[in-house]
Amino acid sequence: MKKLLLALAALTAFGFASAQTLTVWVWDINKPALESTIDSFQEMHPGVEVVVEDLGNQNVYDRGLAGCAAGGFDMPDVYLVENNEAEVFWAQFPDCFTDLTTLGGEELLPLFPDFKWSELTAGDAIYAVPFDSGPTAMFYRRDLYEQAGVDATAIETWDDYIAAGVAINETFDGNVKVGMMGKGSDDEWFRMLANQAGCFYFDQAATEVTVNQPGCVQAMETMKDVWDSGAIRAGGWVEQIQSFQNDELASAFFGSWYTGTIQAEAPDQAGQWGVYLTPAFEEGGVRASNLGGSALAIPASSDNPELAYDFVVNALADEDNQLNILNNYGLTPSLLSLGNAPELSEGVDYWGGQAIWEDILGTLGDVPAVSGTRYFQEARNVMIVVVNDYLDGNYDSAQAALDDAASQIAASTGLPVAD
Amino acid sequence: MSSQAHASPPTTRRRRSTGRRLAPYFFVAPFFLLFAIFWVYPIAYSFVLSFINTRQRPWTFDWDFNWGRLIQDDFFWNALGNTMIILAVQVPLMLALATLLAVAFNSELLKLKGFYRFAFFAPLVLGAVPYSAVFRLVFNEQYGVLNYALESIGLGAVPWLYESTPALITIMIAMTWRWTGYNAVILLSGLQSIPLALYEAARIDGAGPFQQFFKITIPMLRPVLLFTFVLSTIGTLQLFTEPWLITTTGPGNATETLVTYLYKQGFRSFNFGYASAIAYTVALIAVIFSLLQIRLVGGREVER
Repeated sequence: MKKLLLALAALTAFGFASAQTLTVWVWDINKPALESTIDSFQEMHPGVEVVVEDLGNQNVYDRGLAGCAAGGFDMPDVYLVENNEAEVFWAQFPDCFTDLTTLGGEELLPLFPDFKWSELTAGDAIYAVPFDSGPTAMFYRRDLYEQAGVDATAIETWDDYIAAGVAINETFDGNVKVGMMGKGSDDEWFRMLANQAGCFYFDQAATEVTVNQPGCVQAMETMKDVWDSGAIRAGGWVEQIQSFQNDELASAFFGSWYTGTIQAEAPDQAGQWGVYLTPAFEEGGVRASNLGGSALAIPASSDNPELAYDFVVNALADEDNQLNILNNYGLTPSLLSLGNAPELSEGVDYWGGQAIWEDILGTLGDVPAVSGTRYFQEARNVMIVVVNDYLDGNYDSAQAALDDAASQIAASTGLPVAD
Repeated sequence: MSSQAHASPPTTRRRRSTGRRLAPYFFVAPFFLLFAIFWVYPIAYSFVLSFINTRQRPWTFDWDFNWGRLIQDDFFWNALGNTMIILAVQVPLMLALATLLAVAFNSELLKLKGFYRFAFFAPLVLGAVPYSAVFRLVFNEQYGVLNYALESIGLGAVPWLYESTPALITIMIAMTWRWTGYNAVILLSGLQSIPLALYEAARIDGAGPFQQFFKITIPMLRPVLLFTFVLSTIGTLQLFTEPWLITTTGPGNATETLVTYLYKQGFRSFNFGYASAIAYTVALIAVIFSLLQIRLVGGREVER
């Protein structure tokens, strides 16, 4: 009883406080990006406050799941979710988020590509609106490459990348590395390369474990070649930022959203950065893949779902806002109507005048489509370990490592390993 | 009220005594109510959960689904192994260090005792998150002060956070830094309860400082040592903060502990049933270890 009363008191208090305030939970560069849309939102809804909070990527996920498990307590009005992690929410807590069709969400369906919707809908319900995509590319320091005598435009394959790394290693006495890999802390490199090779943890329908298929094997072997060359360093998100700030990292391999992070964390390196496409496995091969990309959802516990919906639509489906977010924060829009926007072919000063968006967005069509599943985290936990052990030489071959990974993922998800 | 009491004293007295008998229960009721809701219920419910397949909805009863997986799960055995290595290496080292510190704190030769006692106890006052952040910086491979120091005396840099064994050592160093002072203070209180007459008698009999230490201090300290041992064991079995914040349980799962694995299963994958099975395993191991330690170390205490 006491507990109930307390909860009621807390709820009414929240209700009064948030009557005209929208809270948004995001991570990193998404905060200033979404904040830039508040003015245009307030033109529609004067007097409504919007508070965008940066909790950090993992924390948003952790607190969101905890909030859903607690029946929707302590949730924001708008919630940012990574596409490939999204399905666990709809599967485990179908009532935690507002079905956007109740707010007229069907109108959004034709505005975004189909592959972006696959993870955000369940049956007829729409649970989130696509925000950015994460086509991968190699972001490099023109000055450092030049000093090492490496021509970035000539890099076409991973072997070329390794050769560049070795040259950089020699020029800078090992102090500058060509890249950084979250070895043992994340498996992003594996996911980017596997995607490039058309492989993923699971098959499209998410009914089988496919992580030991040939494409993934190729990804693993390439990673090992890169790692064994000694031209690349281990480090996580924070270490990578420290490294490029200290001029000790010549390039970074990530989704296009990383451009925003580089611009924000190293404003003094303007003009020194450039972009080249993801190296291919062999000459003429695919030079595209995708990492990340996120979407905005509206928790069912929101007191102002209509306001929240208007905020989301204004931020994500408005061309001006999306172009502005792209130009200033480097987040790649998913909005289809922007595909031919002339602004995209303009050179960007920070990137040495290169028309980076034309280059990066040009790869989107080549990205092999994969679907995340609600078992994404289980599989990722296994792969972080297996990739690390494989790079340390604890497996005889990439195939052996991935066979082991497949059986562990199968054991923890209950899904069978594909033949 | 008082006039009524005068009018019929016997009834009132009886009534008052009934009230008196019941009153304490009302006073303790809030605690037991909260205890029942927040302790007894979750403990019982998680036991039930450990027999339920919670991997997807709807949840179904399946008595060996989680327990069967536990036995075959390499990740669980790895987490158990890591926890046991820390238990076997870090806890004895830390307690030995704490004992020496306590003896030093107790020594008449030491000036500024209060300052040193505070200095060694201070790590515990610091929040776990800032302390972990600082350790991450100290152990950073490229920019960390520790590697800088190692290199400046001619030793190579160690990839503290990116290789398995160094990462586990990092965790142990961090735990030792945080908990040695705490244990030393507990042991110090034990030392101070040893009668000085024993040392005096020993000195008269010609015992040197080492003999005094091993023949008087250690045996007399046995019950307090046991207490710190049991406490540290349970603390290690519940180890979460350091691997979670300093090494993020990596590289790979090299610093995964039972409780970080439990957390991942419960709150990353939302598999409450499996997490509950792990939780009960941790509790069971803690009980077994405590009983063993009391048997082995505390045996003589019982005789006395």
